[in-house]
Amino acid sequence: MITANKVLMISLAAFSLEGCITARVENAREETTGLLAGETVVVMAKSYHQGNETEADYIRCVEKALGRGKGALSVIHNQNFIDNLFPWFEPRTAPADTKGLVSLMARPGVPEAVRNMGVRYIVWLDGGTSRVTQGGSLSCAAGPGGGGCFGFAWWQDNADYEASIWDLDDSENAGTVTADYNGTSFLPALVVPIPLIARTQSKACNGLATQLKSFIVSDEAI
Amino acid sequence: MISKKQLRSGATLFSLLVAGCASNVTVENPTIPEPHVEKLPLDVAVRIPAEFHDFVHEENVLGRETWTISLGAANAAFFTQLFGYMFDNVTVLGPDDNAKDYTFDALIEPQIEGFEFSVPNQSKTDAFAVWIRYRMQIYDSAGNSASTWTVSAYGKSQKEGLGGSKSLQRAAVLAMRDAAALILLQMNKATKIAALADGPIDISELETLAAADNESLGGSAGTVGIFAIGGIDDNGE
Repeated sequence: MITANKVLMISLAAFSLEGCITARVENAREETTGLLAGETVVVMAKSYHQGNETEADYIRCVEKALGRGKGALSVIHNQNFIDNLFPWFEPRTAPADTKGLVSLMARPGVPEAVRNMGVRYIVWLDGGTSRVTQGGSLSCAAGPGGGGCFGFAWWQDNADYEASIWDLDDSENAGTVTADYNGTSFLPALVVPIPLIARTQSKACNGLATQLKSFIVSDEAI
Repeated sequence: MISKKQLRSGATLFSLLVAGCASNVTVENPTIPEPHVEKLPLDVAVRIPAEFHDFVHEENVLGRETWTISLGAANAAFFTQLFGYMFDNVTVLGPDDNAKDYTFDALIEPQIEGFEFSVPNQSKTDAFAVWIRYRMQIYDSAGNSASTWTVSAYGKSQKEGLGGSKSLQRAAVLAMRDAAALILLQMNKATKIAALADGPIDISELETLAAADNESLGGSAGTVGIFAIGGIDDNGE
């Protein structure tokens, strides 16, 4: 007979397991980068006016991941940046390309505001996480004597993100970093469901942030 | 026989069930940061119509859920702040104030022409979206209608938490902020309001202006035409 302690142990063991994830992170450099003391980075989502669906929690995750751990960067919260430069970085008005950035940086008050915040790089995020496919079946029942689940379900998520890095020093595109993560989660259940969850979006966040850190601070020549 | 007490309990339960299918969203005092744009040297009066001041939108979504969104006083305060950032001097007139009692170069009367929203059930996404269509009616100091401009604004916010009221509220605030950005950057180009500093418009020009307004600014398509999304129209100022 399965005791409560055994159920608890099985559940804890299951939560420590994960589903399968395959990852591909690449970068394409267009110019040399580097970050001096006092310089900061801001992470922005490409405009939803242009159909971008990047999740707000993904942006927050990348912001946090860039600002902690080995090689942490100084990151300014994007809402502070947007507010300090109102109305030039609203979803409708933000420059869509570096040509627009050049025009923007020539406007009175804008370069000064950017300098005051110490922002050197804007990281524009594009992309999202979506459920690609799912299958299986799982049913649960409960009665006076107890309950349980039986079956097997699985699903696959795809997290596909692209980060464009703009250097505000010379209003040029420094390059792009892409992260493509596929994760398959499984949920087998024999009385107790055992979730083997692939944290696809979270892994894509950490993977992209790690690559962004090394891309920005790297003194690699083109 | 049903007693009064049972009837009362039944009515209370029914009203609780009905209330469970209704969501009320009140947009409370959104503000905008001080913009990086130069003020127009103009004395402006802003007349806030009563229906703008007390705007409430109610909609039944797919026959299941009733949403009530109140922009109301927040909208009026938001526009007052916006015009304060745009013009040298701003006088706010109430719905009952007579404009003839005041001196100004231009009088602006904002109106809400349309309000729409979508919830995740409808759009099959995780987002709430709000569209607000404002109509800016501009008069010169003599009371002639100088220009009419329709501003179409859009805001989108991802669903967070169980309800959705907060997300819809945020989408509405983002739509108002979108309108503010558009008005700040394009109002003068669209309405030639700065020219009213030189005095009221020539009556003979009115028909020409009205025709031009209808052609280039009539409806939201005209608005989009003069302001490309994702960048700055350098010819716009």
